[in-house]
Amino acid sequence: MPRPSLIDEYLAALSADLPGRIVDELADGLDETYRSYLNQGRDPEAAAQTAISEFGEPRVILTAFTGASRGRRTARRLLLAGPAVGICWAIVLITARAWQWPVPVVARVLFGVALITVISLLAVAAFGRHYRRVCRAAAAACAGTAILDAVMTGAVLVIAPVLVWPVAVAIAVSAGRSGFALRNVHHALTG
Amino acid sequence: MRAEDLKGHLDALLLAALEDAPQHGYAVMEALRQSTGGRLDLPTGTVYPALHRLEAAGLIAGSWSVVAGRRRRLYQLTAAGAEALSGKRADWRDFAAMMSAALEGAPCPDPA
Repeated sequence: MPRPSLIDEYLAALSADLPGRIVDELADGLDETYRSYLNQGRDPEAAAQTAISEFGEPRVILTAFTGASRGRRTARRLLLAGPAVGICWAIVLITARAWQWPVPVVARVLFGVALITVISLLAVAAFGRHYRRVCRAAAAACAGTAILDAVMTGAVLVIAPVLVWPVAVAIAVSAGRSGFALRNVHHALTG
Repeated sequence: MRAEDLKGHLDALLLAALEDAPQHGYAVMEALRQSTGGRLDLPTGTVYPALHRLEAAGLIAGSWSVVAGRRRRLYQLTAAGAEALSGKRADWRDFAAMMSAALEGAPCPDPA
């Protein structure tokens, strides 16, 4: 049975921001809805229009999928965990007088830029409205978070290799966050 | 019933619709319409994101099949989903009893 152009246009609007596997699933449901109205005796045009109305506006569906995406949930959890991890590292850096460490200014600036970039990506993933952008930002932020945690842990262990309790706590908390972020890179990307 | 009135209860309705047998999204919506006597006024398209959310939470499991040349995703309740549904039913009974007591003067059951 050919699909009416009205339904094709509706699905094309969803395809602009949703992956193919989700659009396939929605297309199946929409086709079933359309067919049920045809079976009730409506003409194809009216059946397609009613099926689309029943499905809801594409904007509403896109917003719902974006809100339900794994990327969004992962990003929000990482944003919530951020301050706690940051405080742990701040205690380490302050007690170890990190400003006296022989770290080149360029490396400090690069780390700062990377940190701001990851936080920005998390913000986009946590509050963005476009499904694809949210998923990509979340995946990139997950990878970035793990890299930042690894760099921070490596730097402290190399420059100030004294395992006092603030260092142990910060490394443990960072390792937990990195594990969570790495486990969710793929999930975030696929939604 | 409007979508906003369902806030917080949609998950329980979807889990209940999947309790007896695996269903695809459209069939879930039809089951909800039938079980609510057609009073559920929810855009069908918004059921799918909710199903994806439940799947990500491990409460339902989805799998693809091919029906009449079309890809179709079927969902079924997991053990965790069945447990969650049981908990949601108990919560709903408590909530409904409390509201009936407060609004209609019905006897409030013992919280034990």
